[in-house]
Amino acid sequence: MSDNVYSTICPGCNFGCGLYIRENGALEVDFRKSSPANAGKLCRFGMSLPRLYAPVKSMIDGKEVTLEDAAKDAAKRISAGKGSTAFLSFGNTTSEELLAFQKIGESFLCTGINFEALPKDTYRTLSVGLPYTEIEAAKHIVLFIDPYEQYPLIVRRLLSAKKKGAKITAVWWKTLAIADEMIKPNDVSKLALTKDSLIITDFHPLSDVEQVKSVLALAKNAGAKVTFLKPFANSTGAYLLAKDAKQKSLVQLIDDINKGTIKTLFCLESDPSTLIPSETLSKLTNLIIQAGQASSSKANIVIAHEPLYKKKGTLINNEGRAQALGGAGTNGLDALGIIAGAKFEFNALHESVKKAIGISAVDEFTIPKYDRSAYGAIQGAVKLNEAKTALVSVYNPFIWFNLADDNDFVELNLNTVRALKLLKGGTLKIKSNGASIEKKFKVAPVQDNVLITSKKFGIEKGMLTPVEISR
Amino acid sequence: MQKGEMYVGWSTKEDVRKRGGSGGLVTSMLAAALEKKLVDAVVVLKKINEFEAVPIITSDVNEVLNSAGSLHSVPSHFAKLIANRNLKVALPAKGCDVRGIIEQGKRNAINLDNTFIVGLNCGGSMHPVVTREMLEVMYKIKPEDVHGEEIEKGKLIFETKDGKEHAITIDELEEKGFGRRESCRYCTIKVPNNSDIACGNWGVTGDLVGKATFVEINSEKGAKLLQNAVDAGYVQVQKPDEKGVAMRAKIKGVMEDLGKKWKGKVFVPIENGRLEYFRKELEHCIDCGACKTVCPTCSCGEVSKCTEYHSRGDAYKMSMYHLVRFLHLADACIGCGQCSDVCPVDIPLTRLYRRFANPVQEQLKYEPGMDMRKPPYFEVKLNE
Ligand SMILES: Cc1cc2nc3c(=O)[nH]c(=O)nc-3n(C[C@H](O)[C@H](O)[C@H](O)COP(=O)(O)OP(=O)(O)OC[C@H]3O[C@@H](n4cnc5c(N)ncnc54)[C@H](O)[C@@H]3O)c2cc1C
Ligand code: SF4
Ligand code: SF4
Ligand code: SF4
Ligand code: SF4
Repeated sequence: MSDNVYSTICPGCNFGCGLYIRENGALEVDFRKSSPANAGKLCRFGMSLPRLYAPVKSMIDGKEVTLEDAAKDAAKRISAGKGSTAFLSFGNTTSEELLAFQKIGESFLCTGINFEALPKDTYRTLSVGLPYTEIEAAKHIVLFIDPYEQYPLIVRRLLSAKKKGAKITAVWWKTLAIADEMIKPNDVSKLALTKDSLIITDFHPLSDVEQVKSVLALAKNAGAKVTFLKPFANSTGAYLLAKDAKQKSLVQLIDDINKGTIKTLFCLESDPSTLIPSETLSKLTNLIIQAGQASSSKANIVIAHEPLYKKKGTLINNEGRAQALGGAGTNGLDALGIIAGAKFEFNALHESVKKAIGISAVDEFTIPKYDRSAYGAIQGAVKLNEAKTALVSVYNPFIWFNLADDNDFVELNLNTVRALKLLKGGTLKIKSNGASIEKKFKVAPVQDNVLITSKKFGIEKGMLTPVEISR
Repeated sequence: MQKGEMYVGWSTKEDVRKRGGSGGLVTSMLAAALEKKLVDAVVVLKKINEFEAVPIITSDVNEVLNSAGSLHSVPSHFAKLIANRNLKVALPAKGCDVRGIIEQGKRNAINLDNTFIVGLNCGGSMHPVVTREMLEVMYKIKPEDVHGEEIEKGKLIFETKDGKEHAITIDELEEKGFGRRESCRYCTIKVPNNSDIACGNWGVTGDLVGKATFVEINSEKGAKLLQNAVDAGYVQVQKPDEKGVAMRAKIKGVMEDLGKKWKGKVFVPIENGRLEYFRKELEHCIDCGACKTVCPTCSCGEVSKCTEYHSRGDAYKMSMYHLVRFLHLADACIGCGQCSDVCPVDIPLTRLYRRFANPVQEQLKYEPGMDMRKPPYFEVKLNE
């Protein structure tokens, strides 16, 4: 008897939280206290990883097969559908696999990000965030996120900054306990920045490009710093490696599938149902998913390899820190090799990854030096919330991964409760575009005319959904 | 050999003796227990570097032999690791490990008859991230250059690869916010007489300093463990000298007093606004549940009072989860510091739990994990 314990990184977001996964019949999470990004601490999602890593089996059209057969069949369908195949990976896997994936896609990789709509000179800033120690040393921090819900491990860094005297301003929909000053998103013009300010926001496939540009502009004009947090385990790696690849935004991809120009979609460690509507996915001739855990999408082919915690490879976190996964598995690469018709050698890919980041060895304790050259003048139009009542979707790891959580309610303020004469313990009716749902509610310091949810209800249209509410 | 006896001993395997914290006796005793089938498995720390090691349950004697050495920057806890596994197991255990194991025993999650607990004297452990920072800020050395560490005469000494020693007093380190975890500062279990056999370097004298372990047998199981190791040829023992016995008792007393002093310093009574104090401390809680998962005296599993009374949809000023836990752990908390270690928003949880536990345990004259007394709350009967 000897425990199988893997030193690994939580895939829940790009924070880079280290942990151990112990295989003890059931999976268990153990705290890796020496991990530099998180000191072994994990958020609610990290604590739920045993649930995320639900076993998956290779399948062709619903029939169980071997990984090899699934990959071979996928290869056939991809080559038959040449020209109408898209390759999608949000960045939930190793840099080595992502490089191999790009080779299959012939330098075409969809991370879901709309890079083409953004000036090239902003890519670095968007891809690699600032070291957390820089956040802790900031004098003024401006949040465009809810740190508690979205990137929980940032909270202790913010608290540490506060202890050292930092002021925290939040541009957000509800009062955040950590903030010294609150600004409503619609009043963002009141935000006063200086060169001592550091903006924390996030960047992902659903980010509104104009909003991203406007935050970049705010920082630029004030000489402030800005850091973009990201929701996938290797978002930073994916964006750095794909910087010269042809890209397709999520919106374009959805459009192409709807038009029928894309008929085969190959997803690597990415559950498309979290971002692509099911009506769209059902139009595909072939949905191929290569993954290490079960997903909620109905795929024609499932290529099942080891879960991330058993893999060998490199992840790059928000700070640009290269981190080695502690597993030894490379059968994800093997599967990609079958599809490419050429074997992928881990070592060669690993060398290329290091070269791309400019490091000679992966050392989790040293953040590589990145050329964080400033970007040029930029403009963006902030989209103000004009809805009478808006449902704000706060994307968090549970939503990105389609994992159930104990959060089937909306948050609203006391004024709203009184105005609608809602009953304690009762529910609230929410209508949008003809759809109607009934939800429990929680009273919270949310702004007037806003409902907040951390769960996907199915009636949303993006991050802000105009809704009508009643008792 | 029998309960109450004391020895000084060491490993007969030269390399284990060298690598061992003080003579490798513990390692050899664990290996012998496995080899001679006294147990089916052993828990050891698999060392990754000076600041990281992962606890594993193993039946591989070599893995056990490789584990020799004390890691002061690895604040792990073993009780939950072996709980609900029905193992015949031997393991090293700091005072807090022992207490956690005993409490799990009382809750039927560990069969203590099948558990051989090798206690380690413990002056305290440090958080690895704090240690790294301390090395850079206070010692001005790179963590990667550290080759070994020891505590001697109130100083924390790091040896670097170039053979140099770097020493700073623990008092100075702790004044600057480094050094031992807060819970260790006020922990008063310095010699774990609640274990089957208590091992440490206090009391080792003369030429044997650093090369032998002082042991005190606390139970029949402890006697069996040591006798087995001697019979198997894994360890050699001799009677300690009187000077050593006295010295050990003295250091133990000094350390316990220091712990009490720290306790006074940390737990300054809150005169006004106690509720507000707790509310404020808990205000950033993200409801991750790690503090419950890690707590070595909690054996509730999925369905537990603290989670059943709590819903994320509640809008209370302080969550029922915490309120229930404060009360539920008042007679059980052993002050091990694990909850503070893992809290993602750095809430000083152990301090909060101890604010409830200190008065309750003092009044009930009950120290959890120190003996087999039933937890007082188990005795509470409702409407009978
Ligand atoms: C954190 C810590 C603080 C200590 N403080 C004191 C002290 O103040 N005074 C004193 O007399 N003795 C102290 N000891 C005990 C001492 O360092 C030796 O462990 C003891 O003398 C036995 O020596 P050995 O050579 O026989 O042990 P070894 O043969 O080296 O065996 C040590 C065993 O302890 C395990 N171990 C190592 N680090 C840890 C850890 N952090 N937590 C749990 N298990 C661990 C190893 O896996 C191994 O099984 C401490 C030990 C630790 C771990
Ligand atoms: S989801 Fe993000 S913040 Fe939470 S544990 Fe995982 S990596 Fe850390
Ligand atoms: S709580 Fe006590 S026994 Fe546990 S590591 Fe700290 S000092 Fe040692
Ligand atoms: S409440 Fe905290 S300090 Fe007390 S026993 Fe549990 S984990 Fe240890
Ligand atoms: S560990 Fe901290 S954040 Fe998590 S539930 Fe406990 S107090 Fe809350």
